[in-house]
Amino acid sequence: MKKLLILGMLALSGLALAQPKVFKGTEPGRQGGAYRITAISDPRTWNPFVARETSSTDIIALFLPTLTGYSPYTQAPEGNLAKSWEVRNNGLTVIFRLREGARWSDGQAIDADDVIFSATVHADQRVNSNSRSSFILDGQPIRWTKVDQYTVRADFPKPYAPALIQGWYIVPEHIFGPAYRAGVQQLQALWNLDTPPAQVVSGGPFKLDSYVKGERVVLVRNPNYWGVDERNNPVAYLERYTVQIVPDLNAQLARFLAGEADTFSAANADQVAQVLERIRGNRLRAEIFPNADVTLGTNFIVFNWNHKDPFKENLFRQVKFRRAMAHLMDKKSMIEVALGGLGQPQWSPISIPNKAFFTDDVVKYEFSPQKAVQLLAELGFRSKNRDGWLVNSQGRVLEFNLVTNQGNNVRERIAQIFRDEARKIGVKVEYRPIDFNELVRQLTSPAADGTREFDAILIGLTGGIEPAFSRNVWELNGSLHMWNLGAGGKNPAKVEAFEVLIDTLMKRGATTLDQAQRRQIYVQFQKVVAENLPIIYTVAPAYNPARLTRLGGMFPKEQINSITGQAPYIETVFAKE
Amino acid sequence: MFAYVVRRLLQLIPTFFGATLLAFLVIQLAPGDFVTRLELDPTQDRESIANLRQQLGLDQPLPVQYAKWLSGILQGYLGLSLSYKTDVWNVIGQRILNSMVLVVLATLMIYLIAIPIGVYSAIRKYTWPDRTFTVLAFLGLAIPNFFFGLIMLFLAVWLNDLTDMRILPIGGMTTEFIHLGNLTRAAQLLFPFALLGTLVFAGLFWQRSRRGQAATFGIWVGLVLFGMSTLLMLAPLLQGPGLPERLPYTESPLWARATNVLWHAFPVVIVVGTSGLAGLMRVMRGQMLDVLSQDYIRTARAKGLSERVVIYKHALRNAVIPFIAGIGGLLPGLIGGAGLVEVTMAWPGITPALLEAISAIDIYVIMGLITITTVLLMIGNVVSDLLLAWVDPRIRYS
Repeated sequence: MKKLLILGMLALSGLALAQPKVFKGTEPGRQGGAYRITAISDPRTWNPFVARETSSTDIIALFLPTLTGYSPYTQAPEGNLAKSWEVRNNGLTVIFRLREGARWSDGQAIDADDVIFSATVHADQRVNSNSRSSFILDGQPIRWTKVDQYTVRADFPKPYAPALIQGWYIVPEHIFGPAYRAGVQQLQALWNLDTPPAQVVSGGPFKLDSYVKGERVVLVRNPNYWGVDERNNPVAYLERYTVQIVPDLNAQLARFLAGEADTFSAANADQVAQVLERIRGNRLRAEIFPNADVTLGTNFIVFNWNHKDPFKENLFRQVKFRRAMAHLMDKKSMIEVALGGLGQPQWSPISIPNKAFFTDDVVKYEFSPQKAVQLLAELGFRSKNRDGWLVNSQGRVLEFNLVTNQGNNVRERIAQIFRDEARKIGVKVEYRPIDFNELVRQLTSPAADGTREFDAILIGLTGGIEPAFSRNVWELNGSLHMWNLGAGGKNPAKVEAFEVLIDTLMKRGATTLDQAQRRQIYVQFQKVVAENLPIIYTVAPAYNPARLTRLGGMFPKEQINSITGQAPYIETVFAKE
Repeated sequence: MFAYVVRRLLQLIPTFFGATLLAFLVIQLAPGDFVTRLELDPTQDRESIANLRQQLGLDQPLPVQYAKWLSGILQGYLGLSLSYKTDVWNVIGQRILNSMVLVVLATLMIYLIAIPIGVYSAIRKYTWPDRTFTVLAFLGLAIPNFFFGLIMLFLAVWLNDLTDMRILPIGGMTTEFIHLGNLTRAAQLLFPFALLGTLVFAGLFWQRSRRGQAATFGIWVGLVLFGMSTLLMLAPLLQGPGLPERLPYTESPLWARATNVLWHAFPVVIVVGTSGLAGLMRVMRGQMLDVLSQDYIRTARAKGLSERVVIYKHALRNAVIPFIAGIGGLLPGLIGGAGLVEVTMAWPGITPALLEAISAIDIYVIMGLITITTVLLMIGNVVSDLLLAWVDPRIRYS
């Protein structure tokens, strides 16, 4: 009788998850089917504390849960494993309530112990997880404590705007706990690529099924997942999720054209044309959305304000000089030539797709060589020498070197277009592509006296949805305050007024909780940057997604964006046939 | 002879240390290290970057790093991959095996085709067939492999479109699902032809050997190809009907997996083979022409030997000596991979892994590969020298 009772209880708990997350898809879906994508390189590990690259985290995200994330519809915080939260103490404390009844794929409950354990390990300096920065605020730790089995509490040293975005991966304590207590090395050795996939426990929509090195990762539906659709059917709909590893972009295109991959992102106009031609020839049932959005990545030129040559340092610190350089950016040609006609000009630091904070209402120093000539004349460069280069009254030629990383075709072409325009009006720009690592060294490693050797660098950073996460670029003592870098984690020796303003705005933006006020702060931040140009932005490449029509649950054209992608949730994507 | 071999093997030791030290220095002299890439990530603080460097031992002086690595090597441990956090052998082992499939097949193809064509071209020099082969050889040498690989992919897409069947694979080494049903039906259809072919060539073989003649090259090739196909088809014939219509690759029987890999290898081997083929064909032709103009060939002809005997017994045997001596040199090539074509055709060989390791500066993966290649190169050289002494009576080591 007792046995029966236990069995009954088990069956009940298996059937009815107490508090599932309801995933709102774009259309009613149906169970079954496979989803096949291509990836440029192999994952490195299944261990979220070791993973440092998207090739690993893109897959880990399919089988490990996070507390919260962004809503794909509004980009506001949305609960994942946390079903709700409560902000207390003027934002200093957040209480997260977990979904009761959520279970790992091995049947164990996902509860506060797993969350607190994961937070502890991510925050551990010896582990050096890639998410460690989510647990430190201005050098002070964010404290995580367990309230009861399904409630956790986070205490912040000061109010923190992105406090509700907790996107670090939660691992099963019953598997990682013993290893962690045995030592960091043991923890890092867990869940490497040679671990049998069946041992990798899942708390996400899919679980690992098999991995063939250099070929493919196969995941299958996790029946224990804590999500349902709007009609209370369990998700994910898809039975199988396959990542094919294809290290060459053209080969990826070939896979898509052959109908062997379900989605593809065209990198340039040529690839868009190939997909279109095949669709029109009725040989591929697919859709492509050229220029649907722009990518989050940026490309910009930064000048060195810590130059060992005082003439150049002084020149680069002149806002008129930087505006003149901005006037020399022929962004139209850059889009035509470097991006194959697909892209948009960028004027300020927040990426265009980031609708919550982006503003187009900033000063734009549009392409105009005449205005550049005029501004340079105001700086004293009025006449040209015998070789046709602009000189000042002391006969000093207006010249600098521009470098970018070798092998990045887009950046190399942007640099060449800029160089050609500058040379036309007599600015002697010497352009040279160099090795990426050498470029990073020149940018981030000042000499003992605080000077750096480069003149100008064309580089890019990957943008994100949360402006506060780029504090290392904009705060005065940031490690990527790349135009004016302080030595050893201190503020730079000589600081301009607008830099202090940017620093203040960034700090205020990170600690303001009201969304409307935050937007205002970041709008002002974009205006200050666009006006003073510590970094001169160029163009942003387009996002040109394509997909086979056999997929359902995808975004219609208007809703596609480069942050979320082609579908709101992977859970509600399904195969129509 | 024995003393010579021992001496050669002893010489390997200093060469090994010199080569690995040099490689280690060259990798370290390049700017940046494994962590450099992370420095441009806005979410990474200075502190965690420094921590990571320390944890991976990248902040230690070079001699210390080299000594640590060396002490591992002497115990047969290649080191820990920085990005995979696992033994280097786990990272490269499987990939070397994958590359070997290509390299072995391509080498076989090259030798089996290049030598006969080279001989033919030499005997009928400046005739139309010779000129055609010459033009094809130069084309093969001129087209870069990676580009030819891309053309092959699009050719495959086009061919599959045209026939509305999957004639050729679109890159990769295996498919996710194997259609066992199709394989079985194909085997049932083709088996009679394969068996017939085998019987015909076996008959020819038997006939010639009864007349006391050696079998021709063509008969050998026919017998081996048809015989192998017949044997391969036995497995699906016997086992196939009892299996489901399709199965995931990992759960399929060995014969199906082997067929699947061979099918994927076919276009890649053609791409890899053509350039090697072109070179070897020209060398073979030159060698053969060289030998054919020797005095002893004239003597052989003068004493009335048949042209067949002159060419195959006197000329060819001398002309292939450099190739036999070169076999040792193939050894490091076996694990070196097939080059960039592995990237363009998504073959999970060693080249993509090596390129990734180099761009991430995963030192120990690079060093591991260099070490294995160096050792094989050194052993290959010794083997070459010994083979040379064996086939060429004019060379003696003492």
